[in-house]
Amino acid sequence: MRIKTKWIKSPQFVILIVMIIIGIFGNVFISYDLKFYSKPVAKVTSVKQISISKTDDEFHNQDEQISQRLIVTVLNGKYRHHRLTLNNTYTKSQTNSHKYRKSNVLILNNISDDKGKLSASILSLKRDRILFNITWLIITILVVMMGRAGLLAFIGVFINLLLFIVMININDQLHGNAILPVSIISAVIFTAISLLLIQGFSKKMLATFGATIGGTLLSILIGLLLLNLTHNRGVYYETMSYITQFPIPLFAAETLLSSLGAVMDEASDIMATLFELKTVDPTVSRHQLFSSGLSVGHSIMGPLINVLFLIFLADTFNSSLLYLRNGNSWGFTFNMTMSLGMVQSLICGIGIVLTIPLTSIFGALLLGKQVKL
Amino acid sequence: MSSITVLLLVLMTLMILVGGRQGWSAFWGLICNFCFLFLGIALMAFHMSPLIVLLIIGATVLAVTIFTGNDQSIVTITAFWSSLIILLIICLLILLINHIAMIQGFGPEESNELAGYSTTIGINFSQVAISSMTISSLGAIAEASIAISTGLHEVLTQHPDLNSRQLMISGYHIGQQIIGTTLNTLFFGLFGSALSLFIWFSQFHYSFTTIINNQILCQSLIEILVSFLGVLLVIPVTTIMAIRHH
Repeated sequence: MRIKTKWIKSPQFVILIVMIIIGIFGNVFISYDLKFYSKPVAKVTSVKQISISKTDDEFHNQDEQISQRLIVTVLNGKYRHHRLTLNNTYTKSQTNSHKYRKSNVLILNNISDDKGKLSASILSLKRDRILFNITWLIITILVVMMGRAGLLAFIGVFINLLLFIVMININDQLHGNAILPVSIISAVIFTAISLLLIQGFSKKMLATFGATIGGTLLSILIGLLLLNLTHNRGVYYETMSYITQFPIPLFAAETLLSSLGAVMDEASDIMATLFELKTVDPTVSRHQLFSSGLSVGHSIMGPLINVLFLIFLADTFNSSLLYLRNGNSWGFTFNMTMSLGMVQSLICGIGIVLTIPLTSIFGALLLGKQVKL
Repeated sequence: MSSITVLLLVLMTLMILVGGRQGWSAFWGLICNFCFLFLGIALMAFHMSPLIVLLIIGATVLAVTIFTGNDQSIVTITAFWSSLIILLIICLLILLINHIAMIQGFGPEESNELAGYSTTIGINFSQVAISSMTISSLGAIAEASIAISTGLHEVLTQHPDLNSRQLMISGYHIGQQIIGTTLNTLFFGLFGSALSLFIWFSQFHYSFTTIINNQILCQSLIEILVSFLGVLLVIPVTTIMAIRHH
């Protein structure tokens, strides 16, 4: 009983209640958010399969193509409460098509009215509810489990997300001509904000900040230098996705941002250990600090490079399978789907490794100097 | 020599120079992971079920990552089993999420890349999505699990008489220290990989409602969120496993 009342009075319990209220409110809001949609939104009320045919392509891949007829009720706009019939074709593998089910909510392209006969095509599934609920679940676990540290970490990500959107807008205003300088400046601001929120303003935070920016910029410089020296041989910039502007600076900017988090993670870990050593033993020498920094770095660099490496490799599954099943060789598939990501991961890896001596030297000079004074 | 070979050689040299023997084994860990994932893709291409591939390759990748990075067996065994439990939880969770969000396969923005290719290739892309999202979370999960398990081992070496409750609290303290920076690692990774997608959205004036329902955006965002959930869950699981092993 005593434990129970203690739990009810604890800040975690209050946070949990607040999060549950936010969750309920959010879900209710999503049910009534249709007026923010300029496109028609409709709910599937019945589904009928009209045909199914086996397919066999030129590479002898066997699949099935299925047509379904969906009856949907429009939920917003001019045609609210109207029913219409949509046709949808999907493949059993659902490579780039979807099998819709009853009670799915769909976003439609504009409805055309041909003498009372309404027709429309499907733009996408409405995914805002699931996205909200996953985000909600994670924030709830984060703040209930981790308290203040969790809340601050979340606020940091949120502010950085807003800044990221600002950064995209500035890039747009400059017509994509200065993406690299824009992202370097953004990276500096991102790092400052994240570290201020995680560590608070202190000498340690400034030292970590310096090491993070130094490590990231150094890795990009070395990466671009090596790419230039090897004349980009075997790097296929034309395989970059969603390209709307000149690819090489964009590629460098992407690499810079990808490595930033990992480098920051590592620099924080090493710097924290060095400051800890200094507190325990104020007479610690520069050499001792440097070698302790390196030994912390040894054990974290492998796992950190692995984090980025696995994310990149797993993201190539879709395209690799498509290329392989379309009769392409392994080499061609690698070049088309993995070469760019590979270059990016390797540059990030180089950054992660170089940050170790950089942070250690930086910390050793900074903390060692104080001893002499 | 191609750029990739040169970059790979530079990375190897630096890892050995900075990390010595540990750097060398971490480098081989990366190469092994690459080979196993490539093998995984090959097995899927030869019509092995992507979920079975996920379980085999996922467990192997975890083993390689955890056992090549550290040589204290008590630390690595705890980290390995707790990561494996999280792998199963994450895999089931993504199965459920994908059923609702339908984020498998290629989105409409990728239709340029698909031009000229046959998409009726008879591979279950929902299962591919589940395995690709789960595998992408394994790096972060393994890293967190090693950190917790190493930290607890250190605490136990210094204070062998701590009870389970005190150890639980130590586990959470270590977790609190890593959670902020892990969230950053994952999110900046997302900013980097989604940069060109976001520029695309803004160039083509996508509305806010179109963006938040966009398949590719949801794919990348959910992938990162679920990885982070895995990291959050691995903290108590590793702590409990470490206490039980003790």
